[in-house]
Amino acid sequence: MYKYSEIDKKIVANRVKQFKNQVDRRLSGKLTEDEFKPLRLMNGLYLQLHAYMLRVAIPYGELSSKQLRQLAFIADKYDRGYGHFTTRQNIQFNWPKLPDVPEILEELSKVEMHAIQTSGNCIRNISADHLAGLTIEEIEDPRPWCEIIRKWSTFHPEFSFLPRKFKIAVTGCSEDRAAILVHDIGLRLIKDKGDIGFEVFVGGGQGRSPYIAKKIKNFLPKKDLLNYLEAILTTYNQLGRRDNIYKARIKILLNELGIEKFKEFVEENFKRFSNKKLILDKSTIKNIFKFFKLPSLKPGLEKVPEIKNSLFLEWKNQNVLPHKHPNYSIILVSLKSNEKPPGDASSIQMRKLADIADKYSFGEIRVTHEQNLVLPHVENSRVYEIWNELLNINLATPNIGLITDTICCPGMDYCALATARSIPISQKITDHFKNYSHQKEIGDLKIKISGCINACGHHHVGNIGILGLDRKGKEFYQITLGGSAKENASIGQIVGPSFSEKDLMGAIEKIIKVYKKNKIYEKEDFLSVFKRIGIKKFKEKLYDNN
Amino acid sequence: MIIIDKISERKNEFIELPDEKLSKKTSLENCLLNLFHWKEKKKEIHEKKIKVALKINSDEELIFGENDLRYIKMIQINFLNFKDGRPFTLAKKLRKKFLYKGEIRASGNILPDQFVFLLRCGFDTVEIKEMEKDTWLELLEFDDGLYYQP
Ligand code: SF4
Repeated sequence: MYKYSEIDKKIVANRVKQFKNQVDRRLSGKLTEDEFKPLRLMNGLYLQLHAYMLRVAIPYGELSSKQLRQLAFIADKYDRGYGHFTTRQNIQFNWPKLPDVPEILEELSKVEMHAIQTSGNCIRNISADHLAGLTIEEIEDPRPWCEIIRKWSTFHPEFSFLPRKFKIAVTGCSEDRAAILVHDIGLRLIKDKGDIGFEVFVGGGQGRSPYIAKKIKNFLPKKDLLNYLEAILTTYNQLGRRDNIYKARIKILLNELGIEKFKEFVEENFKRFSNKKLILDKSTIKNIFKFFKLPSLKPGLEKVPEIKNSLFLEWKNQNVLPHKHPNYSIILVSLKSNEKPPGDASSIQMRKLADIADKYSFGEIRVTHEQNLVLPHVENSRVYEIWNELLNINLATPNIGLITDTICCPGMDYCALATARSIPISQKITDHFKNYSHQKEIGDLKIKISGCINACGHHHVGNIGILGLDRKGKEFYQITLGGSAKENASIGQIVGPSFSEKDLMGAIEKIIKVYKKNKIYEKEDFLSVFKRIGIKKFKEKLYDNN
Repeated sequence: MIIIDKISERKNEFIELPDEKLSKKTSLENCLLNLFHWKEKKKEIHEKKIKVALKINSDEELIFGENDLRYIKMIQINFLNFKDGRPFTLAKKLRKKFLYKGEIRASGNILPDQFVFLLRCGFDTVEIKEMEKDTWLELLEFDDGLYYQP
């Protein structure tokens, strides 16, 4: 894992001091709320429906057990005993008080954490494949690249007041677990005639006008990464729209200019502004890579032993993945039980999980953008043991990738912008489909739920997307079908008029029925059936009044 | 209003004129011209080879070329809104693309928290209210010179 250098430590400590000064100026009235807002946002502090919300960065989703314990401490001392893991691999606290925030930031800095650039119109926390460095098919580990980009983008003097927020994701695999095609910039490490470099995508995004990113560069040599990113950001900062907040993302600029014209601007900036000091030399890259080596893994069992316990076997089937070291497994810890909102973890669970990580997984934990956690390196021989421990803290729900593994935004329960609740919908789905074999029969299916058109719950790219709407004071839900955030990314199609909360579960049942009836082989998943048969059959079933 | 840089302060040396107020007698050297004035007087400035100060707003395009810059001793970029980050790119462009060596000044709706960013992007000075000077300088103290960008 990455360890802070002295410079990192000083920069973060300095930011804590600076933020304290800003809070003091706000409390004494020297700063108006309008002036304070972008400053607090740059430090991850939002004003929500009931209170402030603090979003803490988990760079590329990687956490140590020590950090997780500190998050538990913060949850207890400054919040209500829990935290909420987000769709960009961060964690949010929903109830901090403004005067406490500088102190929270100080507590975070003790474990090399911060809330810098987790919101606001700047370059946000860089996200990555949660299985980075763990799979055989990976071309190269994306985490060191995320770290390089994290540094470059932190307090960038030119890009701290962009037209709108800016999100970058990196993957090292052809299988995309980081949703790079719905990011402002998506980077994929690829190999070209023996050289490794980046395929660069730009202009993806969700919100009220969703777009799949377009390719702007087939192959970018590693050394040019930062200069090229800088060229894209310069273009965006200069030309991005500032007259209308809903048209300010880079996706709109790209769409208005067209990819070719946009690319011309970028290439021109790349040529004119390239800074020699931003060229990445081999030794810089090598030094960062050193932090991301695998821990020393030892030989052991080739396979996870088959214990005769059906609950264990269900979980093993669903939540355990092969590690690139044959004697180890990757464990996915689901935060989608039917007892809590998706992505929530209590301080007790955080502490216990930190202990489990120490005991079984070199003290490492990861956060996925699908709001689950990962224990990255667990010996095959100890998988059963770890399951027992996870079971005790209710973190052994066997549903990774299944219908109850929903992504869901905070919705009306917390968010001031919401038009409907989303968490209760997710809980209804989890309840309705809780039977494992039923879920298994339905197979891989991603349901994503947003409480308003801003799409924080990624509904556009859900295989089934659910969008909460307000219709004359009543909550209604619009369904989209066929979305995907993977390498085959697509925006879901609206199936028809929205459903009342009461009718929503019935509608989902019908969608599942159509899918089951139309699959042509046992394992054919929802998306593949949808792509084959189209939306019409679903429409007929949903609106036939029978 | 006063003009400050990293270490010193001074009074504004230029007089700002309303659009229509540009008469034949106005001494161009001492005025802060806007783009309207610039267009009117560009020819004269080139001919007489005088150096002027020019003010542009954060939403205005840089309309001059490398040749014009020789006659501009100071460019004041006026922030209409501190959230509008275009001037940061504009300053970089002036320095890196046009290799502009004159003074770049920020004015308008800016926050003391942006001072270091401004300096790092190529601004030299800012125009601020005299009473805010202490806050500006206080925030400068947070700058310990440690940055991730070259
Ligand atoms: S999608 Fe809407 S309701 Fe949900 S978190 Fe985002 S802004 Fe709030």
